[in-house]
Formats: sequence, structure tokens, C-alpha cells
Amino acid sequence: MSEAAVAFSDPPQLPGDRLFSDYPVAATGYDEMYSAPGILRPHWQDMARFLEGVGGVELERRYREIQRLLQADGVTYNTYDDPHGSQRHWLLDPVPLLMTGEEWTGLAAGLEQRSRLLNALLADLYGPRLAIRHGWLPPELVYAHPGFLPACHQALPSNGRWLIFHGVDLARGPDGVFRAYGDRVQSPSGAGYTLENRIILARALPMLYRDAPLRRLASFLETERATLTRLARHRSENPHVVLLTPGPSSPVYFEHAYLANYLSLSLVEGEDLVVRDGRVWLKTLGGLRPVDVILRRVLDTFCDPLELRGDSLFGVPGLLQAVRNGHVALANALGSSLVENPGLAVFLPLLCRQLLGEDLQLPSLPTWWCGHRADCDYVLTHLDSLVVRSILPASPYWEGGQLDAAARGQLRDRIQAAPHLFVAQAPALLSTAPVLEDGRLTPRPVMLRGFVVAEDQGYRVMPGGLARVSSGLDTLQAALQKGGISKDWWVLAPTPQRHVSLLRQAYGPIVVTRDGSDLPSRVADDLFWLGRYVERLDGTSRLLREALGRLLEWEQDNTDERCLDDLFEALDILVPPVAESPRARFFALRQALLELIISAEPVGSVQTIVSGLLRTGRAVRNHLGDDIWRLLNRLQQQLQELPSDLGARQARELLEEELMLVAAFSGLNNETMPHHQGWLFFDIGRYLERVLRTLDLFKLAFITARNPGLPLWEVVLTITDNLTAYRRRYRSALHPTAIIDLLLFDEGNPRAVGYQLRRLHRHIGRLQPPSGSPYRSAEERLILEAITTLQLADIPALATLSHDSARSSAELTRLLDAVRAPLLGLSDALTHSHFSHAEVPQQLITMRP
Amino acid sequence: MIYNITHRTLYQYSSGVALCHNEARLLPKETAWQLCRPSQIRIRPRPALSAERLDFFGNRVLYFAIQDVHHRLEVTVVTEVRVLDERPFHESSPSPSWEQVRRMLWEDLDPEIIEARLFALDSPFVAAGPQFRAYAEPSFPPDRPLLEAVADLNQRIYQDFKYDPHFTTVATPLDEVLRERRGVCQDFAHLAMACLRTLGLAVRYVSGYLETLPPPGQPRLIGADASHAWLAVYVPGVGWAEFDPTNDCMPKTQHVTLAWGRDYGDVAPLTGVMTGGGSHSLKVSVDVAPQVEAAIKKAKAAANEAHIAPEP
Repeated sequence: MSEAAVAFSDPPQLPGDRLFSDYPVAATGYDEMYSAPGILRPHWQDMARFLEGVGGVELERRYREIQRLLQADGVTYNTYDDPHGSQRHWLLDPVPLLMTGEEWTGLAAGLEQRSRLLNALLADLYGPRLAIRHGWLPPELVYAHPGFLPACHQALPSNGRWLIFHGVDLARGPDGVFRAYGDRVQSPSGAGYTLENRIILARALPMLYRDAPLRRLASFLETERATLTRLARHRSENPHVVLLTPGPSSPVYFEHAYLANYLSLSLVEGEDLVVRDGRVWLKTLGGLRPVDVILRRVLDTFCDPLELRGDSLFGVPGLLQAVRNGHVALANALGSSLVENPGLAVFLPLLCRQLLGEDLQLPSLPTWWCGHRADCDYVLTHLDSLVVRSILPASPYWEGGQLDAAARGQLRDRIQAAPHLFVAQAPALLSTAPVLEDGRLTPRPVMLRGFVVAEDQGYRVMPGGLARVSSGLDTLQAALQKGGISKDWWVLAPTPQRHVSLLRQAYGPIVVTRDGSDLPSRVADDLFWLGRYVERLDGTSRLLREALGRLLEWEQDNTDERCLDDLFEALDILVPPVAESPRARFFALRQALLELIISAEPVGSVQTIVSGLLRTGRAVRNHLGDDIWRLLNRLQQQLQELPSDLGARQARELLEEELMLVAAFSGLNNETMPHHQGWLFFDIGRYLERVLRTLDLFKLAFITARNPGLPLWEVVLTITDNLTAYRRRYRSALHPTAIIDLLLFDEGNPRAVGYQLRRLHRHIGRLQPPSGSPYRSAEERLILEAITTLQLADIPALATLSHDSARSSAELTRLLDAVRAPLLGLSDALTHSHFSHAEVPQQLITMRP
Repeated sequence: MIYNITHRTLYQYSSGVALCHNEARLLPKETAWQLCRPSQIRIRPRPALSAERLDFFGNRVLYFAIQDVHHRLEVTVVTEVRVLDERPFHESSPSPSWEQVRRMLWEDLDPEIIEARLFALDSPFVAAGPQFRAYAEPSFPPDRPLLEAVADLNQRIYQDFKYDPHFTTVATPLDEVLRERRGVCQDFAHLAMACLRTLGLAVRYVSGYLETLPPPGQPRLIGADASHAWLAVYVPGVGWAEFDPTNDCMPKTQHVTLAWGRDYGDVAPLTGVMTGGGSHSLKVSVDVAPQVEAAIKKAKAAANEAHIAPEP
């Protein structure tokens, strides 16, 4: 979108030169930009000059532009499930965090060594366990951590790599030294956000990024892709790599979809995979397709219900056995979450010497493990100056200094009851970096997450990473839930570097594919429902808009409002009981209609339809174009920003806009999604929903209406957006026979049942038969029945409908019901033939301690 | 003693199972006092795939997958096992005091002793707690030799608790067992283990079989036996001393070892995840026949066969 299209409100008047004024540099801390008050660090000078040139006012403007771009791209952290909910948009500060190349080289060496060390540790602990047997690492620290999974013992071949992706949380102390305070290996999220940050900033500040002397990120992601490919040792050409996600409910689902797209991996959920013949397969429309490598973003205990967690049904039964067979590789290997244990920090220097024969380069925050008596005594007597953590995953932490005496006593008891489960860390004193606030730069504490990926020999470190502004030692999740701001972390290079996008690279020979038969069955299912929701939203919004319009006309001009009863019927809501005064009736009707827009209660409300739309949309994120995705975000935003005192007129405007968005959505999807299997399911969903709604509307208007006649017929034409078409064709008063022809039999009118059935018939015929059977499938037979019934209709018998002829009414009823019946079975038939992954596995015995 | 052990498991499903993955820990392990002949394994329907491996605890695990629709799953394992009277401890073995054992466990640097500490930690089914300390305390006065103290605890559980197969399931919490004073062998083993872990000792769960002694003058009931469970406590530097709280004894030659682990969860005989199946019913039968009897049976069978075989 061009900048001209964006209307900014006037920024507050700020003198541009205030950007750098009042930047308080703390006497004791380390500031990334200033080495002393008034003295810029040399590598910040160009940046400072640039920022000064831009000025605080303009920078604020760019900041808003950045947030708008992020929002439009749907960069989010929390979940989408609750349309009113606490979903947070990703916030990005416009000022990058700079680091010199030399400084980074030192840090990168430390990170590379840390990854090698943790990999060696995993290989040892799931193998000979020398670290334990020789006493380098206390057994309690390992065995009491739930990340230690006995089932993974010797699960990898002896030269197998355990650690492929590694995220390290870093803090720079007042002495300028970086220290690690956490390792992320289960789902080391952030690399995708980092990339998106870079892309968005480059869009918002093009003159800064075009020729900036900074190390680019693309080659790191290229390495990720190459490493994943190489993990498929038994299949060197075109291995099938998938990204396994917990699904749209994951807080970082955005990143999963983003990375899958960027690295061209299939985005799959556990239920999409199955183990047969000792190897992993993806269930697709065209049958089972072998999977060679799994980039795993699912907790390891949720990966295999057979061996890893007896009380869970998540995951892929038999996966670990497939790993043992060597037929599939996981990144990271199952069992690797063991090294997220914060207590390991105490033992890393010794382990590094023993396992690698090297001195540990990257120090950790000072850490005490309470399983050592001396450490425990120290921790118990210095509680007020330490941060206490449990070694168990996802546990809270306690800042001793913040606790009152009673809470401190409780904490002491907890530690003493199971000392080996607790560690204490010195509080991290974070360095500060400039953050834009109200048009001026303010020093704020920052924490960094570095990323490492395995390559052929050793590991490769991302030149940069995720910087975030924080108030304490939160986890990434906690920081973001409190509304953290991220920053782009630059590593400076001696000369400007060309921007390389991964999307233009090819990786070896490619198998050209077009028919989409490798579409996961679940995705086909979700696309089908996406289509249904889109059309449902369209239909309901049209009815609501019409009802609100009639209501307002009645209020203003005292027009005939009786057809409102029938509109309520069509919307499937109760007409409020007759009120004493017209005024009271107006309010009651209005209330009922508004409820149907904003309330999350009734199943057919706009809110619930939009939730369904967003849920299925997110589940097929990778199959929708970016512009479509922006439309979905707009739709959600629109509903989130509803005023609490919504009026009828406002509601109608809202529905107008929403209908535009829905139309844009359908149109764009038709224009951008290749018309293969996936699109067919989307379109079948849309037209099935539409034809069912049209049939219902027809039956209401001509058979069951309480107040039949002209006003209602007009409503039907308006709702189907066919009033103009009718006028052009007949230029006369409304006649039921003509309406029926236009909306029932016309095979060229997309709003007519005849057209809709033909389209369904054509598209169902193009679906790939999963069984390969030469006979017509159940869904083909059903659509054939519906279309034939309509085509064989006794049209003359319907001609007398306008004369209230009982025979015509009966004939129309029979026809509508006979067309409708097979269509009702269509959804189930499709599910049975194409989406039959639905069956959930169960445990032979339930073991729940 | 030589036993012929036949362990048969039958699952029947109300609707077809399209795919199942299973793990069986039904192959007895070799120990210093137990020798096993190769097992005969019969799985019906025939698995598409099977593989044997040793797990983290050194138990033999059989993985198998059935990929055709089936309505019943039958797993029969027949093994000939020779149990020698050579377990490292018996009723009158001397042992250091329980406090001394605990000290060695937590302070000694011998690799084997360090490794045993795994079994002193809480596990999913057996976690320490003050209620267990309270129950154990009368058996553990200061300086009492470890084995004497554990034997006393073993006996008290035998006396205080009622064997009641209808009371518990796999998922019955240990607290409830302690409160209601009833359970089965698995619960009694878990309870004793919780007591010993609370005192800082290393204990493991042992699954296996028991030759049930028939009342005098009656034939042994074939198939009435079930899998059995007991526990073992670690004596640093010497080995593991086994106790059976269900029978108030220390296993000798009547206890056949199948597998061991931190608790039942590590050694469940047959686990699986299946697609489909609806509801299911389970039948298990175990026959532990001493070789003498087995030999007679075999001879009889041979005679029968000879009798009905057509003349050449």
C-alpha cells in the first residue's frame, strides 16, 4: 500500500531537535548508544546523524506506519480465538540496536560453542551418561527434570545430531559482557519475528535500510533450509520437510506459518501425520505422502502418545519408533528439552572442559543450584538479592527482594522440601538502548535472543536476532503478554551488503506439481469450512442489513414493517413479544438485531461466524494470499473496535463495510488461489452454503411467510442483490413466476439455485477420487440428484403461484424439499470421502498417575 | 526352578481398529539369577512390523504395529525361564543401618551408586510425602539394619492392608490406598516404595510372575495366576534387595522377573494407541507352570497326538 493512501492524524507538535535531548545515561549501567553522557559510541554516529535528520516528529509518524504494517500483516503473538480477546499485536521500535562486527564475532563464537556443548551433552545423557557417572552433573538435576525422557535413550544413531535449532536469551551487564540466562530448544521462537521486523523496518525506513552496512539475515535462513534438507539422510533429492505446529491456538502460530512459507515447508498438525510401515506419512487428498524431516514446534511430550506421554492423545503414535528406524529426522530431536533446565548453568564450565576439551566462552548469569548444600545455604540466606526459579518447565519465578516476610518464608519452605528442584540467579542488570517514546529517545533495558542453527560441521549463528525492551527477566512469553516492544538487532558490516531474498533461490532440482493432490486432508476440510463461513457471513449480514433498513424506514416514515417478522424468521431469532407502544416495539426489535451482531452467544451471530472464519482462516494461513490475510485482519479489527453503544444506523454502516470486505475476500481468493483441489473445496463450501440459504429464503418468501406478498418479495430480491437485474429484465411490478425463474431456474445467475447447483456439480466432478474407484462417488450422486430434480421441475405447475393457488404452493414446496434433501447429505459425504482423518486415536490402557 | 510361562492378552473391540502401535514388555529379562530361553511370540492378527530393543532400564521391549482392520488383538508369549536361588539378599542377610545406606547413596562417588539415585527421586506414580513418612516411621528406628527395617515395613503392609482386586485401578492414587487400607500387589509395591523414597532410599518397581502354591491336595489352578509386582531397595555396593509386600516375603525362586523401572508406568506389560476400536474388553491369563508339570503335560499331549494320528 502506498504511503499516500494512509491518512495520519496530525502528530503532536514536537520540535524535531528534542529527539536526542534529555537522554539520561545512568552512571552505573551500560548504555548501548552512549559510552558516557554526551559521548556517542563510534558505531552509533551514522545512525544518530540519520535519526537527527529524520527528526522526532517524522520518526513518530514512521513508528505508527510500522505498527500499521505489522498489523496489516497479521503479526501477532496471542491467539485469535477470542475476537474480543487480549490478542496482542507485535510492537516494533523504529530505532535498530547496533552492534559492531567485532563485538558480534566474539558473541557468536560463544553461542556456537554453547550449541555444540549442549548437543554433546544430549548425546551423552541419552547415551553413555558419562556426565552423570563421572559426577560432572548431579543425577537429580537431570532425572528430576521432566525434559529427560527415558524413552529417547539411544533413540538417535551415534552420529545423529540432537540439537539443530537453538535460541539463547542474553543480557549485557554493566561491565559490557554478554551473559546467557536461558536456552530455548523446544520451540525456539523468534527467528520468524526477527525476519519480519527486518522486512517491515526496511519498508518503513527504506532510505535507512537500502544501503545500510549491516549483515543480512537471508543467508542464515538459507542455512536453516539446507540443514533441514540434509537431515534426510536416506533421501537426498527433494526430501519432504514439514513444520509440525500445535495449530492456530499456539501463541506463536504466526511464526510457524511464516517460517513454513519462507522456507517452503508443508505446515502440518499432528493429526495430519500417521506412522505406517515404520515411517511417517502426510495424509493428503491424493493419499499418503512420505515425510522425511520434521521441523518440530510441538513440545516433545506431545509428539508420541505411545511412548512419551501415556495420558495424552496429541501427537503421532509410533513417531519415536520411526525415529529409531532412521526413517525420519526431527529438529530438534525428541528429548532435547532437557537442556532448557536453568540449573545446568552451574555445571556448564566443567562440562565444557570435559565434553569438548575447551573453556566455556559465553558465561551464564551467576547461578546457584540448591541441590548443593552450600549453594542452598547461600540462597536461603540471600533470598532478598536473588531471583529464584524452579527447574521445571513453565514455572514461575520469585524475586526475593519483592517478597514480604511471609512469602519469603513460604518460598524457603518450598526450597527446603525439594532443594534439587530450585536454582537462584543473580538479577540481570540489563544494558539500555534508545527507544522512541513521545518523539524522543529514552534509554530502556533490552534483552536479546540469539539464534543458532546446525550446519554441516558445527553451528552457524544468526547475525542479529530479536531484541526486546523489557522491565525484568521475563520469558519471551511473559514480556509480550505484558506488552513488550521489540527491536531490530543490527550487526554492522564493513561495507553495505546486498539484500538477498530466499524466495528467489532454488534448492536443487524441483518436481513441478500442479494438481494440488498433495494438499493435506485437514487443509481441504478447513478450506471447505472457510468457504461456508464466508458465505454464511455474507448471507447473515445481508439479512441483517435489510432488517435494520426496514426498521429505520418504519421509524422515520412509518412504512409497513410487517415483513420484519419474516426477516426475523429468516435470521432464526425470536420476534420480541408485542410491546405496548410502537416506540417500545422499535427498541425491542432493534435490540434483538444488534444482539445478533455483537453477542457471542447465539450460534448464528455475526461474531461467532467471524470467529469461525478466522479460526479456519488461520488454520490454512499458508494457502491464503497476503492481501486476503489483510482483509481477514481488517474484518477482525472492525468487530473488535465496535462501540459499546452501537446504534441501528451505525450497525447498518458496519454491515455495509463488512459486506465489502467479504466480497473482496471471495473475489480476491478467486483471483489469487490456483483453481486446483484446495480452491475447489473452498468454492464447494461457499456454494453449498449459498444454495442452502437461497432455498431456505425461497421457502420462507413463497410458502411459510406470515406476511407474504410484495414487500417480502422485494426483500428477497434485495438480499440476493438482484433487484436491479429484475427491473432491467422485466421493468414491471414484481411477479412471483418471474422471481422464481430469476432466482431458481436461471443457470446464468450466480444468485440462482440453478447456477449454484451446476457449479457444485462441475466442481465436485473435478475432485480427485481418493479411492480411485471408477464409479460415481456419494457426493457426485447427491449433487446429480439435486440438479436433476430442479431440471425436471414441472414449471407450468408453478405458474399460478401469484393466485395463491394451493396446487402451485404444494408443487413448489415439494420441489424445494426435493432439491434440499440430497444437499443436506453432501457435507457428510465430502467429509467421508476426503476428510476422513477425523477419527481420533485412543489408548489401549489409560495411565494417569 | 524351571518354569514354562504363558502370558496371554486378548483385546476385543466393539468396532474395527484401523491401525495400532503397541509396546509389549512381556519378554522376561536376563539377570544374574534368571536365565531365559528364547520366547515364542504369537500376535494375531500378524503385525506388519515388529522390533525388539532394550529400554533405558534394560528391559526387553517389543514394538509392533498392525495396519489392517481388526476386531480383536491377541498376544501370547511363552517363555521358559530358569530361576536360580542366587538373589543377592535373603531374609538373614546382614546390612548396614538404613541411615548409613542413605548416606552412602547420596555421598558416594561410585558410578553405580550415583546412577541408583534415579530411583530415589519421585516418579509419576510414586512421590514422597509426609503421610508416607508417618506410616514408615515405626519400622525405622535409629540405627536399625536396613533389611530388617524394610522387612518390618513389608510385614506391616501385609498385615494392615486387605488384598482387594475390586478396589483399585491403574489410576487409583496412593493416598486413597493408604486411607482405605486396601489394594492389589501393584498398590502395595508402590506404597512401600513411596515410604522408602520419602526416607531418601532408592527403590525400584519389579514386575513379574509368581508361582502360586496350591493348597495341599488340590491341583494348581491353571490360568488363575496374574502378573505380579513387588519392589527392590538398593544397598550401595552390594545390589538390590527384593521384597514382596503382598506375600510378606523376600522373593527367591518362586518369583520370575519380567521387567523393572521407576514405577508401574515404566513396565506396563502391553500399551498401545489405536485408531478406531470403540469400546473394548480385555482378558488376561497367565500360567506359570513348573517344568515337572510342564513335562508331564507335554508327554500327555504327545501321547494324545500319537493316539489320534492316523496309521501310516
